[in-house]
Amino acid sequence: MKENYIDNPAALKIDLMLRGLRIDDPLVRAWACGMDGVDIMLPRNTLVNIPCREEFTKGSPYVLRKKGGGYAITDGRGEVAAELVKRPAFYDRKTSTGVPFSRIATVHGSLTSIAPSSRCDFFNASVECKYCAGNLDVKGADKTIYSVEEVVETVEAVLEEGVGGLIYLSTGFSEGTDGGIVFLKPYLHAIKRKFRCLVAVETLPPRENRWIDETYALGADSVLYNLEIFDKELYEIICPGRAASIGRKRCMDALAYAARIFPNGTVASHLIVGLEPPGSTMQGIDYLTGIGAVPILPIYRPRPGKALRIDPLTTEIILPVYKHLYRAVTEKKISLTWVRDLSMVTTPAEIRALVDDAGTRPSIVESFYKSRLGRKTAWGLSSLRRKLRVKASEGGEEGE
Amino acid sequence: MSVEIDTRPIWVLLALRALKPLFYIVLAAVFLYLVAMPAPAGLSAAGQRAIAIFIVCLVLWVSNMVPLAITSLFAIVLVPALGVLSKKETYALFGNEAVFFILGAFILAGAIMHSGLSNRIALNIMDRFGRSPRTLLLSIFLLAAFLSFIMSEHAVAAMLFPIVFDISKGLGLKPGKSNYGKLLFFALAWGCVIGGVGTFLGGARVPLAIGILKESTGKSIEFLDYAVAVFPLVIVMLLAGYFLLTRFFPSEVADVSSAHAVLSRRLKGLTKMSYNEYAVGGVLGATIFAWIFFGKAAGLAAIALSAVVCLFALRLVRWKDIEEYVNWGIILMYGGAIILGTALDKSGAAEWIVNLLIGKWADKPWMIFAIFSLLSIFLTEAMSNAAVIAILLPVGIGMAERVSISPALLTYSIAVPAGLAFMFPMSTPANAIAVSSNYITVKDMAKGGFIMCVVAWVSFNLFAAFYWPLIGMGYGK
Ligand code: SF4
Repeated sequence: MKENYIDNPAALKIDLMLRGLRIDDPLVRAWACGMDGVDIMLPRNTLVNIPCREEFTKGSPYVLRKKGGGYAITDGRGEVAAELVKRPAFYDRKTSTGVPFSRIATVHGSLTSIAPSSRCDFFNASVECKYCAGNLDVKGADKTIYSVEEVVETVEAVLEEGVGGLIYLSTGFSEGTDGGIVFLKPYLHAIKRKFRCLVAVETLPPRENRWIDETYALGADSVLYNLEIFDKELYEIICPGRAASIGRKRCMDALAYAARIFPNGTVASHLIVGLEPPGSTMQGIDYLTGIGAVPILPIYRPRPGKALRIDPLTTEIILPVYKHLYRAVTEKKISLTWVRDLSMVTTPAEIRALVDDAGTRPSIVESFYKSRLGRKTAWGLSSLRRKLRVKASEGGEEGE
Repeated sequence: MSVEIDTRPIWVLLALRALKPLFYIVLAAVFLYLVAMPAPAGLSAAGQRAIAIFIVCLVLWVSNMVPLAITSLFAIVLVPALGVLSKKETYALFGNEAVFFILGAFILAGAIMHSGLSNRIALNIMDRFGRSPRTLLLSIFLLAAFLSFIMSEHAVAAMLFPIVFDISKGLGLKPGKSNYGKLLFFALAWGCVIGGVGTFLGGARVPLAIGILKESTGKSIEFLDYAVAVFPLVIVMLLAGYFLLTRFFPSEVADVSSAHAVLSRRLKGLTKMSYNEYAVGGVLGATIFAWIFFGKAAGLAAIALSAVVCLFALRLVRWKDIEEYVNWGIILMYGGAIILGTALDKSGAAEWIVNLLIGKWADKPWMIFAIFSLLSIFLTEAMSNAAVIAILLPVGIGMAERVSISPALLTYSIAVPAGLAFMFPMSTPANAIAVSSNYITVKDMAKGGFIMCVVAWVSFNLFAAFYWPLIGMGYGK
């Protein structure tokens, strides 16, 4: 008999992400279930993005049902209220050049993800990461690059609507020592100049630390260099491009350096759950928290022809990994105010309810930073910190 | 633009930021107090205000809280505003000959660099004479010194740096470890520093000092007189520098053929010597000739500016090419320093300070010379050499009047040591450039530089006491 998670939103979130959701009503299915899954709000403000199209979801015990004026998720033994997250209105609008905003930006809870280029050169060399969802796999010159103006218009629309106020800029691999920050620079610069919003940047780890300094100086409030897999051999097999052009050691060094430059809790790295044994992921958690980085643990979603998932992989097996994450993060005093309310991953703050009996509610500080005033404060403090820390030099001062 | 992230705790950074406004508030309070307090006996009201302005400028120049030139502009505003000098007199002082001489020298140096002549001379000399580790080192050392006779020492350091850096790389010298690497960069920095005091052209500080001297006393120092007085010191310092360096850092390199390959490659990259290079060289030669033989009659600034006019009339340079070589900040700084010096002198403030600080105990000319040269050589290690002159010279000239020492001689005692900055990267751009190579550490420079400072000060005083009287430059008026 399987454990029953229906009454515990944090555990249910993990189980749903792992097993998916069946949506019987074809109308609801068509409306809510996008390529990336369906965003649902569970009790206790737990936001989850649940796979609902993939093959493996057909065997899921969870079904979305209409209940009264709303919805509920049931596993046959119990049920829990579920609120379908409204599709942002700006998704239906277009940029002045005619590009639908929904193509440029995707809202995942508190963040809006924007990838200005649809290109990752690992695909051109056939050394792409094996788990990659492949949305950056446009080859050669046949690529879409959104202009700075298009991205700025999108951010304006996002902020106007008040959804996903943390802008998350990402880019795939390109040759060079900068990891991709040179490409993102004009976008980051323009967003920071025009809007008072926090921006996270995900690039490949740059080969030289000066690019990390530059990333901070340009206005990035948070940075992600994704290690993805901690086990050395599996890393080389699953991420051949990353292993050959950057290397695991450099990724770890770049994270350690970034953690010294960026504020506590704003340097993060993905470790994908399900691609390596849980023990290895836990070692990765210890390593990352040890250097001051926040591990973010997305769950691998198998796709046809990509059977990379370790077997068996159940919530019972991975729950201890998430609990370990929460303990490691609190033990190392890493701030939890930054990585929170994300639909695609379970954040350390959400696991508090699984570990800490007293901690089912967010702390006052966390609640404050979720508020409008809190977001403004976070922006102000982040900008002040940057003003104090960044020194730009243009060569020599006066002569004589 | 390069970016540096200060990782000190935030509270330290905040405290440092908070200090800045506090610093200005305290400075303003001190200034107002100095202006408002009853004038001490023997000091006129104008003198008291001149001292208040002097103290504010001194603090700003030493602390570098605002750029040197901006402090000077502040002095230019305050001197007439507080009635120390009239507006007309103040702004007229900015038209001082020294300011225009400096402008001319910047443009001449810019023309030499822009034409490629200086680079060609440097490469050829190193290629021809640098056949062994010892001669290569000597050729860099002497070349840096020689070029600093005719152009600003930091322009020379900036020009030679990439060549010396390539040579070090070509020889496979390890930064921070190789003694020969240290030798090459010390030779570059110290060659520039020592050569820079050889003539008026090595830096703009000597013209500045002469400007202040002229405004205060009507006396001047001629190009040739200066060179004759200082040249033996330059030779002694070059010998001492070479001796010290080779003792401190015994070379581990036996063969420099790979350095040769670097030089040959660079030489091959040069085109044939152009008309521009010949012509700029000709104008420079004629200018130096005129400074030596007609400096007194025609005026140094007039000769420098005539040379500049020639350069433009012959279309050897365009304003666009030259603009980047003209350091307007320094020109503003010098104008302000001359105004402040004159204000201190004319208001009687300089004399009052001298009486207060040195009183009657230092009444021998050699003692005054030794004190000012010592102050100058050590102050210049920590602050801009022009600021050292701006601070010490008005007081020194006041002192000269009282103890019957020639004001021109006192000008030497401050102007020459002010250029001998050997100890720290912040002392002079030539040192900073050498340290930026990573072959020399700040510790290396401080150690060797301290000994060089002592040697320089002792030799300078010995020359003043024993050699200068032989050429008619006794301490007396
Ligand atoms: S770096 Fe890897 S995961 Fe990222 S887009 Fe390229 S292939 Fe995909």
